[in-house]
Amino acid sequence: MVSHEDVIQIARLAKLSVKEDELEAMTKEMQSIVDFADAINNAPTDGEEFDNINNLSNVFREDVVVESYPTEKILENAGDKADDCFLVKKRCL
Amino acid sequence: MAEVKSKIRAINEMLTGKEITCTELTQQYLDAIDKSNGDLNAYVNVTADTALKAAKAVDDKIAKGEELPLLAGVPMTLKDNISTNGIETTCCSKILEGYKPIYDATVWKLLQQQNAVLLGKTNMDEFAMGSSCETSVFGGAKNPHSLNHVAGGSSGGVASAVGGNIAAYGLGSDTGGSIRQPASFCGIVGLKPTYGSVSRYGLIAYASSLDQIGPITTTVEDTAIVYDAIAKLDPMDSTSQGNKGAGACATLKNDIKGMKIGIAKEYLEGIRDDVKEAILNACNVYRSMGAEIVEFDLPALKYALPVYYILACAEASSNLGRYDGIRYGYKTPTYNDVNDMVCKTRSEGFGSEVKRRIMLGTYVLSAGYYDAYYKKAQNLRGTIVKDFKNAFEKVDVILAPTVPMTAFEVGKAVSDPIETYLTDICTVPINIAGLPAVSVPCGFNAKGMPIGMQLIGNTFAESTILNAAWHYENATHSTMFKSAEMGVKL
Repeated sequence: MVSHEDVIQIARLAKLSVKEDELEAMTKEMQSIVDFADAINNAPTDGEEFDNINNLSNVFREDVVVESYPTEKILENAGDKADDCFLVKKRCL
Repeated sequence: MAEVKSKIRAINEMLTGKEITCTELTQQYLDAIDKSNGDLNAYVNVTADTALKAAKAVDDKIAKGEELPLLAGVPMTLKDNISTNGIETTCCSKILEGYKPIYDATVWKLLQQQNAVLLGKTNMDEFAMGSSCETSVFGGAKNPHSLNHVAGGSSGGVASAVGGNIAAYGLGSDTGGSIRQPASFCGIVGLKPTYGSVSRYGLIAYASSLDQIGPITTTVEDTAIVYDAIAKLDPMDSTSQGNKGAGACATLKNDIKGMKIGIAKEYLEGIRDDVKEAILNACNVYRSMGAEIVEFDLPALKYALPVYYILACAEASSNLGRYDGIRYGYKTPTYNDVNDMVCKTRSEGFGSEVKRRIMLGTYVLSAGYYDAYYKKAQNLRGTIVKDFKNAFEKVDVILAPTVPMTAFEVGKAVSDPIETYLTDICTVPINIAGLPAVSVPCGFNAKGMPIGMQLIGNTFAESTILNAAWHYENATHSTMFKSAEMGVKL
């Protein structure tokens, strides 16, 4: 059973806020999705780990130095910036 | 019998034969967008200036007598999760409002090398999470065959634009059916390539082990042309393997006599009667062309949907962790501290379906549930892969419905998430197994809405499925394909 506490804890992990008045509906919704996912509970498996598709394997190459993007380009999409850095205010009152 | 004419080849001949300039053609498409996009809501960002500039470059090439690549000057569109340098790319989410990538996705780079003309970016379910395009922050794209019906999702905008003749072709992305389902709903062709054949570099990630970019076009040959252009090895995507064959165009018209086409009974369970009838009719078309229809079982198929939603949401919860308001996109205006800023930004920036999937993904990855859900789903993924592998020892191609039904009416899909998830039953197994599949039109229901079928191939067997699709299309085109009454007529 998914409880209100579960939903609060998952939201905390996912960095989402859940308002008090949304909690009941969200818990019910989570329960129905979890019930749907539970369909695999009794599925037989051979216990083999599955780690990739299409037999992918690591491809190694020489480390080649290439030009990086200019700092101002990278900062173009940031809301707040200062001195070539992303700005994250400790507090915003 | 006259062969179905490729739209891309037709445009190429018009341009090189100087029947029309690329600027004139592009303007025709832009005028058609102006006229129809209010109804279709296919485009979320029309890039008229960029398009006309690219068209002018093509005209200059023609004037100088330079050789023109096949895709040069062909007006096209990209789904709004494919990065375009300097052009807003939002994934149709508030959280990426105003975001302009500083680099191009590899697929877009490849198409620009062929002088492609980008008309604009098209609508999609927010972060490609949805089956109707209606989770888009811009509202859903409509079906060119009936504006009361959705175009499908998540690449609904591309399918609506291509089906409505306001783009000659487009690129979408397919994580659980997002190219094939809207192509099926809009009566056109859509290919989900083998995992690894098309670079994902610059595709804004939903579920990285399932995502794949592919073409949406009006003809099978167009799909083969675009696939050949974008299936290239790319060092920027560590899972990229490129196109391992000679290319899909080379073998498109080969004889299919003796080709073994598999039908799995599990694929015909729970689908609407009109769709089932269309699939069985397609079997008869193939029989008449000398192909052999082989019945086989896919027992693990029944677990595909929960496996898909567990894995896709788990990957999404991790991939979407990057949206914190600091480096790009939306940022909440007021907050107390850093944690509050991130939580508020995400809660205000993401729509409800995205939040639902992030929550489920976080749940299945959290302590105490990881083994029961994520690990179990990964094991079952292995079983599904094996089931398909066994099938391809007996058959060359698998024939299946693309969707168990035709396009939903507007507003019907968003009311019940689980009901909507169930409609992905035919498409998700292909992403789980990393296989290629193409959806082609195979009939209409009583209301005139298109029905689609999938031809599924073994790993890197795009050439085989497109070869099978081309023959079906040529045998049935006059009855199975109907161009919507709008957009540019060539």
